[in-house]
Parts: sequence; structure tokens; C-alpha cells
Amino acid sequence: MFLRFVVESLRRAPKRKAMTVAAVAMGSAVATAMLGVMLDVGDKVNRELRSVGANLIVTPKTLASPVEIAGVRAVPVGGAAYIPEDQIPKIKSIFWQLNITGFAPSLTSPSDVPVEGVWFHRRYRTPDGREQQTGIRDLSPAWQIEGRWIDDSDGAPVFDCMAGAAAARKLGLIVGSTAHLIGHDFIVAGILHSGGDEDDRVLVRLSVLQDLLHRPGQVESLQVGAITKPEDAFARKDPKRMSNTELERWNCTNYVSSIAHQINEVLPMAVARPVWRIADSEGRVLSRISGLMLLIALAALVSSGITVWSVMATTVLERRGEIAIMQATGAGDWLIASLFGAEVVMEGLAGGIAGALVGVELAAWVGRSVFRAGIGTPPILIPLVIVVAVLVALLGAAQPLQRSLAVPPALVLREGI
Amino acid sequence: MFWKFVVAAVKFRRRRLLLAFSSMTVAATLATTLFSIYSEIEGRVRGEFRGYGANLVIAPFSGLATVPLSAVAQAEHLGARASPLLLTTAILDEHPVVLAGLDFGRSQPFTTYWRVQGARTVSGDDCLAGTLAADRFNLAIGRAADLERHPCHVTGIVSTGGPEDNQLILPYDRVAARAQVFGVASLIAVRADGGRLAQVRDDLQSRLPGTDVRLIQAVVQTETAVVLKVRAAFFLLMLVILVITTLSVTSNFSELVLERSREIGILKAIGARERRIAALFVSESALLALLATAAGYIIGNFLAAEIARSIFGGVFTLSAAVPVLLFVGAVTLAVAIVATMLAAARIWRIEPALILRGD
Repeated sequence: MFLRFVVESLRRAPKRKAMTVAAVAMGSAVATAMLGVMLDVGDKVNRELRSVGANLIVTPKTLASPVEIAGVRAVPVGGAAYIPEDQIPKIKSIFWQLNITGFAPSLTSPSDVPVEGVWFHRRYRTPDGREQQTGIRDLSPAWQIEGRWIDDSDGAPVFDCMAGAAAARKLGLIVGSTAHLIGHDFIVAGILHSGGDEDDRVLVRLSVLQDLLHRPGQVESLQVGAITKPEDAFARKDPKRMSNTELERWNCTNYVSSIAHQINEVLPMAVARPVWRIADSEGRVLSRISGLMLLIALAALVSSGITVWSVMATTVLERRGEIAIMQATGAGDWLIASLFGAEVVMEGLAGGIAGALVGVELAAWVGRSVFRAGIGTPPILIPLVIVVAVLVALLGAAQPLQRSLAVPPALVLREGI
Repeated sequence: MFWKFVVAAVKFRRRRLLLAFSSMTVAATLATTLFSIYSEIEGRVRGEFRGYGANLVIAPFSGLATVPLSAVAQAEHLGARASPLLLTTAILDEHPVVLAGLDFGRSQPFTTYWRVQGARTVSGDDCLAGTLAADRFNLAIGRAADLERHPCHVTGIVSTGGPEDNQLILPYDRVAARAQVFGVASLIAVRADGGRLAQVRDDLQSRLPGTDVRLIQAVVQTETAVVLKVRAAFFLLMLVILVITTLSVTSNFSELVLERSREIGILKAIGARERRIAALFVSESALLALLATAAGYIIGNFLAAEIARSIFGGVFTLSAAVPVLLFVGAVTLAVAIVATMLAAARIWRIEPALILRGD
């Protein structure tokens, strides 16, 4: 009997029911999409910010790293002033290995126009045996290139070079011309404009420079790009003074300083330091953008909540006559309330499920059209949104229902309101 | 007579109208808040990129070692921030070390990311030591760095992860005196407003022959990409929110017409023309929309200012932009009128006799 009432009611006015369901669906779609985007946008912007450059620099312990401006260099002290190139892939074995988006080892020859040997987009083997590629090209996608990047895969031409814009002007180089560097001729594959130190240098393949300088397998610095969490007060604590649980929490958070600490552990001959110019600013930019997205997600939740609420309220008000008839024929308040409640729950469920599914797509669409990468909405969000949709719908229906029940049925039926 | 009807209608149906009015006000508030924030996003996010330091560098043209110090004034004249850096080498404990001369009055915006123990700026015979230089030469705060001719007094240790880590940092004048140069810098860091960066660069380049004015591509391009993407994401989401709010407001306003079939019947029975009745409803909605716009605009502006303050920091500033008011007003008015008119189409179909008979 109870069920028949509910089903009948749904069947009798399918258009109005459809509108209610659509409103709930729309509300939950927007809420799902917003939350999905909000939860993911930090990661997306973080990846975007990686194009500013490496946020970690690793230098040999014994050698204070080469001074990089105006061609002035400090003299290396001691013999072991290098990082062995074959040890470098070890940084892909740290806890936060997946957060390391790229790295580029380099060696520099001290001359009037510095020549730097780097990995451009080099294939290497990670400690667990996978083949990957990385290099300066992945770390610095913002550089403007005339000509082309150097191909440093095995078998590609060896004596190619890329000249920084200022170095090219100084040496009179253009794309395709020949540069005489460290006693050897190089073909200029490209001219690069970075605006930074690279503009004054000539870049060659790392292995070539190692051979020419008689420093096989040696690397003087390593730039690392990592996805990090903005630093908070806890991140700035000195790890040496932490308790064990604190240290564990610190290590298991991708702060730039804990990643540096982990790199130090796998490369004991080197010192990893955060590049604060990059690391500091990206934390600030990220927290602001997360704030913006939180705001818009809240706005979305409020507006979809209000939509569901007001549609429910209107539907109940419209059906005052029905309520009065039920009351007049002897139905108790609780029976009427549960009849309406069952209806609302069914509408909320239908709308919530449809909306959550549409919302996942909507989030992915926003991701694709803005960040050129889909947004994966966490699955837990879907049941959560459905439950909340049902609750909001019930709440929206509750107050007008209560008010309608309080009006004497005779009054409603006579007035026809 | 016409307005008496409208005002009386408002008076008699307070509750129903209050619902329509408050839903409209919420919509207008949301629209105002989001739109104000949206119009400020670019400036605010670009502002956050200031932390990355320079986005332009004035470097010596090939073959030269220095740039004229007058370039600083030129850049400042164009509304940019500029700070000169002078580099030279000195001998400390029989090893070469790089001395960097900074104009501490100007360098502040370019060094916000420095991690410093002790003093941040120095004057006179004091100096800052980069953390690696300090390790290598055994320097600490309070010790003297025994530079040839003039020892300097270390008052701070700087850690940046950049070239500063290997340097001793002194006031510009001291380094210039040591290097025996006058009115020149090794390079000048410039921070110009991201929106008119290209123009500043071109102006500087044409005014400063013998220099190479470079865009720091990594900073410039990342800034542009992030600003554009964040703005686009915000815009899309804002649009979705406004659409759904509009729909809920629309249903409220249609309801205002639909529930009054009986009154419409009476009006028609005593000879009112349909157009006249429709105009009655439309003006009622328009009045509501205008009131809601005013209320929503006021609340929204305070909300936007408070939100901007809590996200981006700084002081509470009311912007109250006129374009936002016009936009919000136009949209709410349009929504209210369109919703009412759609529902008002029914007026023509109502048969007074049928309605009044009580069916």
C-alpha cells in the first residue's frame, strides 16, 4: 500500500518529478565537478610550475659548487670533487621517486665561454630496471630554441652543440655553423634563449665533454625537478631534533627539504640543496591558487545546495492540496511525512547518481580544456555526493512539509491553495 | 494605478516574494563575488610570482664586462623595480672567492626567498657569507673574513641554493671601491609588471645600447601559463555555477506567475488586456531583480574583499567596480524578465470562466 502510493505519485506527475530529479542531478554534478577539480588543481599547477626550472640542486660534497656568474670559477679542492654519473639514477629509488619529474647532470669546462656538458633527453635505467628518459629538455621546457635540440640518444651525432644566445653572438655562431671548442669542431644544432646563465654558455653532450676533459663518468652538478608540498611551520623544523614519529611524518611528506634529505642518503658523496628562489615562490603561488579553487568549490556547493533545497520546497508547497486530502481521510502526520520522505529519497538518489556521474565527466572536461590533462575524481567522492544530495533534498522538503501539515485541511481544501 | 497594483501585489504576497527575492539575492551575491574575484585574479596571481625575482636581466653585450649603472634609473623610470649586482673576485685565505656587491636599498624585492641567519642587509664593513663559502672558509656570524686589504665582518649567513651560496655579499659601494670601477654593474635584475613586460624590454633595449636585455623565459612563460590556466579554470567553473543559480532562480520566478492563475482570471474577467497583465508581472519581477541586485552587490563586494584578503593576504580593500555592478544587474534583470515572460505566456491561454468556476 505504502509503496503503491509512492509509485503512483511518481507515475502521476512524471514531468514535475523529472524536473526535480534534474535539479538534484544538476546540483550534484556541479558539486562533484568542483570538488574533483579543487582536489586536483594543486597537482596540475604544481606540474605547470615545474617549467620554471629545477627546485633542487645537488653538488659534490668536497667541491663547493662552481660559481656560475660572469665566467668566474672557484678552484676545486681535493680529488674526489665529483658525483659519479652511474650513481645518479639512484635518486629514482627514494621514497618520493614518482614526484621527481626530471633531472639533469652536468659538467662544466672552465673557459672564457663556458662549455657545459648535460643530459638533454637521455635514456637511463632506474635502479629497479625500468628504462626512462630525462634531461635538461624536460626541466626547462620554457627555453626558446632556434634550430633544434640536441639528440643525445646513443647513435645520434656526437659533436653537436647548442649555443646560448649571448655566447653565439660572442663567437659569431649561427644554426648550422661550426664552433671550435676545447680543441674540437662542433656543429651548432640550435641557439637557445633562456635569459639566464645558459645564454652565455655552449651546451654539448655530457659524454663528449667528459671525454674531452678526461673526466669519464664524472658530474659536477645535478639539477632535480620535484613535485613538492608547500612548506609549513613543521617543514622548517630541523630533522636532527625531531622525535621518531615526527621524523617519519616529515620523511613521508614531499617537502622540498625532505626530498633533499632523501637524495643525500642515496648520494652520500653529494649535497642536495633546495633552490629557494624556485621552491619558496612555488609554495606561495600554489597556496593562493588552492585558496581560489576552494572558494569556487564552496560557491558551487552553496549554489547547488540552494537549488536542490528550493526546488524541493516549491514542490511540497504545490502539493498542499494533496496533503490536505490525505489528512482529511485520516492519515497521520508521520505517515504523510514518510510518504513524502520516500519520494524525496528516491528523487534524491536518482538525481544524485546521475549528477555524480555527469560531474566526473564535467571535471575531466575542465581538466582537458584548461590543463590539457584529464582530472581523476577520487571515487570516494561519488557516494559522498549522493548521500549529501539526498540529505539536502530531505532538508529542503522538511520545513514546508511541516508547515503544510500544521494548516487545518479544511482551510486548504476550501481555499484551494 | 499600474504601480499601485504592483506595490499592493508585493505587500500581499510577502512570503512567496521573499523566497524569490532571497534566491535572487543569493544569485546576485554569488555573481558579484565571483566576478570581482575573477577580475582580480590576473593581477593577484602575477603578484605572487614576484617571489621568483627578476623577469628581465640587463647583461653586458658580448665583449663588454659591465653595464652602466644608469640603467637602474632607466628601468625605474619605466615603472619597473631594478637592482644592480657587481661581481668581482678577491683572495681569502689564499683561495679566490667571489664578492657580490648589492644595493641593499633596492635588492629587497629580489631577495625575499633568501634564507638568512643573522642580518639580512649589511652596511659599512659588514658582509653576508653564502652558506657554502662559510663552510669552506670557516666563517660564522661575528667572525671576520680576512679579505686582502679590507677584512669584512660577517653578520649573516645566506642560503639560497643558487650562486649566492658561494659568495661573500657586501654593499655595492665596497665592491665597486675594491674593483676600482665607478658607475657600472655586472648585471641588473629587473622586475617589470608581467602584463607589459615585452614593451619594457623593448624600451630598455633601445635606450641602452651596449647591453643585452634578456627575458628570463622560464619565469615569464610559466607565469603567463599559470595565470591563463587558473583564470580559464575559474571562468569555466564560474560559468557553471552561474548557470545552475540562474536555473533555480528561473523556477522561482515562473512559480510567481503560475500560482496566481485565479487572479489572472479575475483580471481578465473584468476586462484587463493580456499585455497589460503580463506587463504587471514583468514589472513586479524587474522590481524584485533590481532590489536583489542592489542587495547582492553590496553583500557580494564585502564578501569578495574579505575572501581576497584571506586568500592573498594584505588589507581589506573594497573594490566595488562599476562594470561588475552593470554585469550583475544586467544578468539578474534579464533572468527575472525572461523567466517571468516564459511563464506569462500562459496568461493568454487562461479562460477566466474555467478558473473562476473553481476547477
